[in-house]
Amino acid sequence: MAIDVKTLAFVNFYAAMGTLEKYVEYDENARELAKRQNINVRFKVLGGGPDGVLIFDDGKVTALPYDKSIKTDIVLICKDPEHFNKVVEGKAMPIPVKGLFKTLSFMGNAKSPFMVLTDNMAKLMRQKEFTDPAERELSTKLAFYAMVAGIATVGNHDPIARYAMRRIKNGEIILGIRDVCYATLVKTGGNGEEAKLACVRQKLNDGKAFMTFDSVDTAKGLIDGDLDAMACISSGKLDTRGHMLMLDNVNKILNIVPKYLA
Amino acid sequence: MKTYTYPKNVETMTRAGKVIPAGVYGHLGPGEGCMIPTSAYPFFVDHAKGSEMWDVDGNRFIDYMCGYGPNVTGYCDEDVDNAAMKQIKLGNCTSLPSHIMVDFAELLTSTVKKDWAFFCKNGGDVTTFAIMIARYYTGKKKIIFVNNYYHGVAPWTQKPDSPGTLPEDCMNSLYVDWNDLDGLKKVIAENRDDIACFISTPYMHGNFVDNELPAEGYWQEVRKLCTDNNIILIIDDIRAGFRLSLHGSDNYFGFEADLICFCKALANGYNVSALCGKEFLKGAAGSIPYTGSYWMSAVPFAAGIANINKLIAGDACAHFKAMGERLEAGLMKTANELNVPLVFSGPPALFYMRIKDKADNFLLHQEWVAECVRRGVFITNHHNHFMNLSMTKELIDETITICSEAMDVMVKNHPELFK
Repeated sequence: MAIDVKTLAFVNFYAAMGTLEKYVEYDENARELAKRQNINVRFKVLGGGPDGVLIFDDGKVTALPYDKSIKTDIVLICKDPEHFNKVVEGKAMPIPVKGLFKTLSFMGNAKSPFMVLTDNMAKLMRQKEFTDPAERELSTKLAFYAMVAGIATVGNHDPIARYAMRRIKNGEIILGIRDVCYATLVKTGGNGEEAKLACVRQKLNDGKAFMTFDSVDTAKGLIDGDLDAMACISSGKLDTRGHMLMLDNVNKILNIVPKYLA
Repeated sequence: MKTYTYPKNVETMTRAGKVIPAGVYGHLGPGEGCMIPTSAYPFFVDHAKGSEMWDVDGNRFIDYMCGYGPNVTGYCDEDVDNAAMKQIKLGNCTSLPSHIMVDFAELLTSTVKKDWAFFCKNGGDVTTFAIMIARYYTGKKKIIFVNNYYHGVAPWTQKPDSPGTLPEDCMNSLYVDWNDLDGLKKVIAENRDDIACFISTPYMHGNFVDNELPAEGYWQEVRKLCTDNNIILIIDDIRAGFRLSLHGSDNYFGFEADLICFCKALANGYNVSALCGKEFLKGAAGSIPYTGSYWMSAVPFAAGIANINKLIAGDACAHFKAMGERLEAGLMKTANELNVPLVFSGPPALFYMRIKDKADNFLLHQEWVAECVRRGVFITNHHNHFMNLSMTKELIDETITICSEAMDVMVKNHPELFK
């Protein structure tokens, strides 16, 4: 299945960088590191890529679409989605058009807070062996949030996944690891061109469909591709209820997400 | 009332998960079968008789899924099974087809008022063949589907996001809404020279939605549009066939399909499907290379003959309707007493149920269905149900008692909603 570079750019911004929000919330060291910079960084990817702002504010991190009302300290341009994807891989640098010196401080070397945070989070999410159960749980929770954000982003942008996204009925879909963490996908815009999925990294109250992993182990197995969803439903490890057609289409997008998050 | 537990079912599913993808894949499995929650459902049957089945834990169920349709005269029906047993001693999968294939084709075509019959195994075999015939005969390639359709799992029936399906598989698909004649006229006008066929079920029995009957004059207008535009009219009667009318659902709704697909109720569970058609398409059907190792097995033909004869003798469709109406009346009485907004839709023989909750998320409905299953009525959440010839008033009344208690339990679980 071909990777769409434009979709990958959105995934890299909203699902990968966006998961920093939860990383700094859960991990005290990460939060302390994030506190070192209060800064708003705009990534403007030309050629139809994301135009978003990464906001560092007193140890909290948020990834939002750019809006003129958001004051930016740094503006970084990528000439196209492929360029941005290379930036994320550490193989290229964006073009700073505002805040050159702040840029150097922000991501100019491997020890700058942003680079350390993203590097540590990526390593933690990719880690397979754990000696500390808490670390394993954190890794799974971050992978879970990246997955849910990935569903929204891939659903909005991947040409094939968009078919499924548009067919999802408007409303909230709650996903979670039982008693551990939850997120919500919010579908709006009906089945036309305005159709859109958004990821909210918490449990909202008006769920129409529900998908709940029974444990961190099950979530990790499914996210890593070691378990399959249908087998987990059969064994009771994955509980699905509510508007099943919504989940059916979410699953179709979910099938495509791993190629972007790999 | 006692509620069931399923230790042997779970143990068997654990074994299954090691050697069979998803444990049980497809519509009989917990995933596609929408068994919500899975803890309320059995997974494996031990034996079945008439309208009842017993799971591997010994739990008894009155079964309204009927194997998702094939059980039409009753599980282990003696007349059908005896005919099959007699044939198995004469030969089944032989180097030449048994002469009873002709007997079956004669009986089937005279029953459903078509000119020829072509036998396969599954519903998807015959819907696929119908499309091939339409394309070959017309020299055109596009297919008009009715939204929320199901015509099997072959790539041509899927959307591009379905695993294993290519965007190219769907390039010739056009879509209209059910009962939308204006939409159909528009699609035809926009693709006038490219449309090979219009394929639809005789009424909208899509899953997850209230089932919808055709509007007055709908089918007659569709028939005319197809004829006027050289479009083959294909009816997928795999689910509804032999439950509304033994003469085919096109006859039931007062029009004539060019091709009609049968499967589920054809032989009471013996594996045979049939595409029946009008004379002008017989040559095309005979010209297309299309065959399978077991398509001419004689045992299902023998079963099919016995099955159809029994359905005719038993005035089966009147029985299905009467049983469905009795069940609906009983359950609606309970629902009204408990202020539960239960909705029945579709014909009584293939009734579809839904509890219409304000949150629009099916949770109350799924909870009620789970309580029914735990007490011995096998129904599913988002699929229509099926009546069969062995169903009795006594079983219907027992069902009403069980489902009423289940509804009462659901209501008591939600005092905030049912004051």
